[in-house]
Amino acid sequence: MNGLDASFEQRPFAAPPQGTQDLLFEAARRLRRCEAALAHLFEERGFAEVIPPALESAEVFALASPHGEASALRAVDRHGHLLALRADFTAQVARIAATRLARVTPLRLYYRGSVVREGVAETGTPRERLQAGCELVGIEGPEADAEMLDLAAQSLRVLGLSGSAARIAVGNVDYFSALIESAGASARLARSLTDAIDRKDLPTLAGLCNREIEPGKAREAILLLAHPPRQHSEASALLARARDVAPSARAIAALERLSKVLAGARGASAELEVDLGEVRGLGYYTGLVFNLYAAGAPRAVGGGGRYDGLLGKFGDPRPAVGFSLDLDALVPLASPA
Amino acid sequence: MITIALPKGRTLRPTLDRFARAGLQPEEDVAQTRRLIVPARGGTARFVLLKDPDVPLYVERGAADLGVCGLDHLLESGADLLSPLDLGFGKCRLCLAAPRGSAVARGWASGDSGAEPGRSLRVATKYPSLAARAFARRGVPVDLVRLSGSVELAAVAGLSDAIVDLVETGNTLEENGLVAVEDLLLVSARLVVNRAAYRLKIEELLPLLEQLS
Repeated sequence: MNGLDASFEQRPFAAPPQGTQDLLFEAARRLRRCEAALAHLFEERGFAEVIPPALESAEVFALASPHGEASALRAVDRHGHLLALRADFTAQVARIAATRLARVTPLRLYYRGSVVREGVAETGTPRERLQAGCELVGIEGPEADAEMLDLAAQSLRVLGLSGSAARIAVGNVDYFSALIESAGASARLARSLTDAIDRKDLPTLAGLCNREIEPGKAREAILLLAHPPRQHSEASALLARARDVAPSARAIAALERLSKVLAGARGASAELEVDLGEVRGLGYYTGLVFNLYAAGAPRAVGGGGRYDGLLGKFGDPRPAVGFSLDLDALVPLASPA
Repeated sequence: MITIALPKGRTLRPTLDRFARAGLQPEEDVAQTRRLIVPARGGTARFVLLKDPDVPLYVERGAADLGVCGLDHLLESGADLLSPLDLGFGKCRLCLAAPRGSAVARGWASGDSGAEPGRSLRVATKYPSLAARAFARRGVPVDLVRLSGSVELAAVAGLSDAIVDLVETGNTLEENGLVAVEDLLLVSARLVVNRAAYRLKIEELLPLLEQLS
């Protein structure tokens, strides 16, 4: 013992690996109740369950996004194949939809289970996260975006989180891409802008814009992105202001699309807020993007968006939109009906 | 009710002045009291007093909705926060510094790290993460020594070849026979906000953010 108290004796097998947990009794019961409430809602809305394997070819996550593969926990099997623990359900569901289900349109799929990502342990995000989520494949129009926003809001409601206890921040990444295109920004500048917008860091954003972007509509529109969000009811004013400075047809189309989606998702209006600076999401999002917040959780408890380019990487170029919920963050807050 | 994390260090006074101008004042002098949580007059907010480097984590994990901390602690912590305002005070520099006339002081500008041949540059700092990133970017291998105070002493006493530390006037460096070799970061106090609070308490936070800017 070398004088060390027995409390500090090393027993590596005693606790589960860092960032994972054992769920016992009431914790397990609560998780299952939440899963059941969500599965019931998803089935009611016409979604069918798929259960992809816990182990996946690492390439599936690499195809989906370079970042996705980097955060996956990988291992080489005895045949020399590079495998990964499931790091992202959407990539797996896209693989299934694009291969075995390529001829079925539209597709409404849901899943539940755990994903494993190598994150930064200090920030308190667990390595193994329990998730449930939905994907809608094959519908390009804004009505599909609205359907998924509405379902996301309804998901929080069946967990007992609604009104002021829940918030869904909605944006459109294609609007930002259109502004970057109009501004002629390099990839390096685009990354710096994205970072400043994501942190609502107006001083840094203004500095970057003044130094590196020509005066004009694109610059004005980019500066508007770090401004505070507007609730659903006041969104039209924000969108009108953005429209006045929209520098291109693509930017205008992205704003119009967002207006249509918001009009279609009226059922979720109590929780929705519009934030054109909502640029955070998975690398494969191409249009609508949203993040879910719940009172009592210090960070987002889920999110989603449109990913029209992902299925094409698996050989079936179809549009899709989806979202997932982090159940480990939600279960302690939830009171499912 | 919003919870505001205040740094106990040298930026406490200007921070309190800024909040007072925005209409929020602690109901007793936070520099005198032994209480760790002090309500604001009017009861709409409360202040928690923290060691400067702890502010980002309190805010990231939601124990406070917003806080004030230097850019140095914000970046060192790696915390995932919103940082909507540069408050403009608490200005200083994060510097690489070394003993006057040392190999580092003489060679750094011309690309010689000043490390002894066959060894990595030994650098003492309270900012291991920022220092590691700065040296990695410059392609210089380092042997970082993490200290919790009196960083200048490390270079003077021979624990390290150089230090990475905050420099406000340069007097402390001078008194210890050290010179600043390169500025790595310009620091000022930032207002940081929890990501979820920004969504769920936006109605309370927005007027405050406007008055603080």
